[in-house]
This record gives sequence, structure tokens and C-alpha cells, in this order.
Amino acid sequence: MQLTPDEVIVFTIGGIGFSETIVYTWVVMAILTGTSVLITRNLRPDVPPSRWRTALEVIVTGIQRQIEDISRQASRHVLYFSGTLFLFIATSNLLLVIPGFSPPTASLSTTAALALSVLIAVPLFGISRQGLGGYLKIYIRPSPIMLPFNLISEFSRGVSLSIRLYGNVMSGAVIAGILLGLAPFFFPVVMDVLGLLTGLIQAYIFAVLATVYISLATTRPGEPVKKERD
Amino acid sequence: MSIDWITVIAQIANFLVLVWLLKRFLYKPILNGIDAREAEIAERMGEAERARAKAAAAEADFVARKQELLAEDAAIVDAAHEEAERQRDALLAEAHQKLEHEQKDWQRHLQREQQKFTAELYRAGADTLYQLVRKALRDLADEQLEERIALHVTAKLEPMAPDLLVAAGTAEEAIVSTHIPLSEGARATLNRELAALIPDVPLRFLVDEDQAPGLVLRIGSAQVAWTVDSYTEELIGLLTERLATGALGRGGE
Repeated sequence: MQLTPDEVIVFTIGGIGFSETIVYTWVVMAILTGTSVLITRNLRPDVPPSRWRTALEVIVTGIQRQIEDISRQASRHVLYFSGTLFLFIATSNLLLVIPGFSPPTASLSTTAALALSVLIAVPLFGISRQGLGGYLKIYIRPSPIMLPFNLISEFSRGVSLSIRLYGNVMSGAVIAGILLGLAPFFFPVVMDVLGLLTGLIQAYIFAVLATVYISLATTRPGEPVKKERD
Repeated sequence: MSIDWITVIAQIANFLVLVWLLKRFLYKPILNGIDAREAEIAERMGEAERARAKAAAAEADFVARKQELLAEDAAIVDAAHEEAERQRDALLAEAHQKLEHEQKDWQRHLQREQQKFTAELYRAGADTLYQLVRKALRDLADEQLEERIALHVTAKLEPMAPDLLVAAGTAEEAIVSTHIPLSEGARATLNRELAALIPDVPLRFLVDEDQAPGLVLRIGSAQVAWTVDSYTEELIGLLTERLATGALGRGGE
């Protein structure tokens, strides 16, 4: 039984093997980008919005509203980052229902990559917002004694993010595989339904946590709410 | 369970590429479209607000102009009323004046008719009285009224002889006019008597049907009349008095 799709090499080019994680990530990227291009290619103010465009607008504005509810410094850059996290993870998890599809989020490498992305993005957003000095003051708040604890907290955030997502997605697949041996015609369907639900929830939790971390890094205490555009 | 760091790096790169792709093909078009639509809606709402304000201003202007027109209408109606009142008063005054004038004309006409009637009545009364007296005198005393009047005149002229002589002066003739022709006897009596009173003044007899029955003598500037006019006036006065008091009607009952 495979616990990660990293071990399955789909094809090799020039001695470099491309695992299922990479290939299915590209599939998810292609689906998201292709869908976006198809829907938004004829997007003009004088053209009435279609149902697909309205659906996309609902998704994007829903994500934006969630970010505005969480972050006091609502920025479109945060939307691009957190929204992409949510859409990528959610799409990957939803594609679990397709037979033969291994969601990239079931790979610890993918979840670690996403967690690393969050860990890198948080200081970048913080520095871009508050400057280097202003951001580094976060780690010695409320006193310099807290510096090591804050560093540990920052590191543990990434670990928890990656492990939580990986554990949930992988465990769903593993449990489905185990139950497939016990009751091959009943439990897989139930587990797939549960997998869809937990996949969406995990995508939401991952994106929300990333937004919260970015919000904490970009907001000064007592700073008023401000919405920015890129 | 292990982490393939090459895969991690590749996934980070894939994620960054996906961020860029979705930013390019999803977020920006969608958000820009929403912003454009919101701007268009805001612009339309602004236009609607401006149109509403313009409509409100037009309505206010319309109401003001309507009020102004109503006021003008009221002023015109008042002026028309006043003009109508003035014209009515003028017409009424003219009508009153015309009516008064017509009444006066009518009264004058009535007065003329009354005078004419009275004259006719006088003449008829005098003629009737004269005919009655004449008939009564002829039937009862076998006398001619004209002759008796002529004889009576001569008797009355004797005391007036000096005045008549003075009045005759340089008169060439004396004229005796009667309603009907006098008999030869009466003419002769008058010629004889007047010749005695006023010598050298010839006497000429004249018949005037318009004259009241009786005799009128004109000599120069003097005129002596014996007619039934006074009796006629008395008769008319009696009739008028009886008509006014209704005695005639009650006497006939």
C-alpha cells in the first residue's frame, strides 16, 4: 500500500522522473487555469454575465469576503495567495472522486511545499506592510524573552499546517483502501463522500489559517481596518 | 512517509506558477469586471440620481409655473369679471337710460295722444253739446241757435263799443267766423248792429269748421268770442271727475 503518490513515477524525461504528485498537480493547475480562461475570455462590461461567470464571481467574492472578515488589512495579494491555496487544495481534494486520481495534497511533499510557501509568504507580506524592523518586532513582542518561543511557534505553524492537511487527505485515502477490503461495494462510496466534505473543510482551514498568519504579520496593534487594491 | 525535497521545490514552483496563472486569468478579470460593473452601476445610479434631481427640479419648475399660470389665470378671470361687471353696469346704465328715454318718449307720446284725445273730446263734446242745444232750442222754442247767438252778441257788444272802436283803429274789416254758415237773417242783424257800433268797417263772414261752435268776432287786434268751449270744458271736467271717482259705473248699476 502506497502512502504517498511521490513514489509513483508516471514518466521520465532526461533521467528525471515525474511522479504522480507533480503530474496531478499539473492536471489540477490545467483544470483551474483552463476553466478560468474559458469563462473569463469574453469578460467585458457590456456583455451580460453568464452563469459560469457568475459562479466564478461568487467563488472569488466569497473568498474575498472571508479574507476581509479575517484580515484587517484586506489586500488583493492576500486574495491571490490564500485564494489560490483554497482553490488548489479544494480542487485536488474534490478530484479524489475520480477513479485513479491521486490528489497531490495526499503527498507530504505537496503539503510541506504549501506550508513552506505560507511560512515564506507570511514574513514577505509582513515586511512589505510594516517594513523589516516593524515585522521583526513581532518576534520580541511582548518582550525579547519571547523570541525563541515565537520562532518555535512560527516553525510549528508550518509543521502543523503541512501535517494536518497531509494527515487528513492521506488518512482518508488509507481508510478508504482498508475499508475497500472489508466491504468493497459500500464503504468506498461513503468514504468518498466523507472525503469530499473533509477535503473542502481542510482546504478552507488551510486557507483560513494562512490568511490569519498573514493578517497577524501585516497588522499593527490598534491599526484601523483598511482595504487595499493592487 | 517521507518528504521528497525535490518534489517540495517543484510543488512550490508549481504553486507560484498557479498563483500567477490564477491572478492573470481568474482574479484580475473577475475582480476588474466586478469593479467595472460596480462603477457602471454607480455611474448609472449617479445618472439616475442626477435625472431624479433634474426631474425634481423640472417638477418644481412645473409646479411653480403652474402656480404662476394659475395666478395669471385667476388675475385674468378677475380682470374679465371686472370688465364684465363694468360692461354690465355700462349696458345696464345704457339700458336704463334708453328705457328712461323711451319712457319719456312714451310719456310724451301718451301726453300728445292724451292732448289729442282731449282735443278730440273737446271738439266732439262741444259739437255734441252744440248739436243737442241747437236741436233742443229748435224743437222746443223753434229758434235757431246761431241767430240767437248773433243777437246775443250784438247785445253784449254795446257796452264794449268804445273798446271796439279803439281796437278797430285802422282796421279795414271786421271778421265774424262761425262753425257753420250763419243764416241770412243772422248776418243781416250782425251787419246792422255792428254798423251802428263801428261805422265804416265792413263785416265779412267766415266759416271755420275747426272752430268751436259759436261766434268769434275779430276787429283789428281785438277778438270777442262766444263759443261753447267753456261749457265743453265744464262737461269734460264733470265726466273726468265722475270717471275718476267711479260714480259713473255705480250710477249705471
